[in-house]
Amino acid sequence: MVRTLAKFFRTIFLIDLLKGLWVTLKYTPQPAFTFQYPAERRPVAARFRGVLRLQVEPETGAQTCIVCDQCAKACPDELIALDGHREPGQKIKILDYFDFNLSRCSFCGLCSEVCPTKPVKALVMSEDYELGTYSRDSQILRVDEMYDGVPIEQYTR
Amino acid sequence: MGLIDQRFSDNIITTNVDKILNWARQSSLWPMGFGLACCAMEMMAASASRFDISRFGAEVFRASPRQADLMIVSGTVTKKMAPVLRRLYDQMPEPKWVISMGSCSNAGGPFPTYSVLQGVDKVVPVDVYISGCPPRPEALLYGLMRLQDKIRKENTVLRRPRVIKVGESEPVLVEDRG
Repeated sequence: MVRTLAKFFRTIFLIDLLKGLWVTLKYTPQPAFTFQYPAERRPVAARFRGVLRLQVEPETGAQTCIVCDQCAKACPDELIALDGHREPGQKIKILDYFDFNLSRCSFCGLCSEVCPTKPVKALVMSEDYELGTYSRDSQILRVDEMYDGVPIEQYTR
Repeated sequence: MGLIDQRFSDNIITTNVDKILNWARQSSLWPMGFGLACCAMEMMAASASRFDISRFGAEVFRASPRQADLMIVSGTVTKKMAPVLRRLYDQMPEPKWVISMGSCSNAGGPFPTYSVLQGVDKVVPVDVYISGCPPRPEALLYGLMRLQDKIRKENTVLRRPRVIKVGESEPVLVEDRG
């Protein structure tokens, strides 16, 4: 009898409905937490892996890559191709080209992990993730884009 | 434009047909969610309130291709799925655009196998390729903005064809450097 009455009052006072609505109402007064993306860029995590980037010596701007080909060997999908030449009488190799096929890259970071140069690592995963192209050809990054980052592609007819 | 510009009272805008149609198209892109793999999670996150793709007018994810303008192919396209994808693309009414989201649909990703389509551009013309594995929701919004840039430059009355290559082969890593 008591249980039937309780169920009756729960029904006529819409207790279950109010319980459900209370969850909605609890979240209503808080301010909007939408990121206004193009205006405001959310900071990425400390170990975020963005697009690959070649680094130079910070003071001199000299090349840090020693053309050891370890990144190309470490890549599981064989997306990196690089080569260099040695000037006569010099010890360090000079980078001729560094091609990186962005289209297949799964951003695993193995290439930058094996990069042996110290103290400035030549190949790092940067924090850039804004990558959108109009064709597959421009998804191959050449050496300029590896140093300066991927530019915003302008659409031309 | 120059003859009738600034000759009317306020609140009357003179424009040309291309501009107003492109404006209408770029600011009401209704996507058809083609979530095939983990990239679909990021696509859902982009449509949720944190990133809110409706700020760009593209929030109405349609289940039917006949109500959609934009196909966001997000995920690995297997060869079994490819005819279905093409059929759904054919059922979309013109004008229609395709965003290829993520490494898998761009080029097959880490699956160079017999069962995976090596790039969704083998079956449908792709407008914008977004790299990432998976791309962040911001990267999807960035790709959407690139697509809006492209739509803004289209012609509607003088129908010049869009430049899209279908069935491109994989671009070569090392070009012939003479």
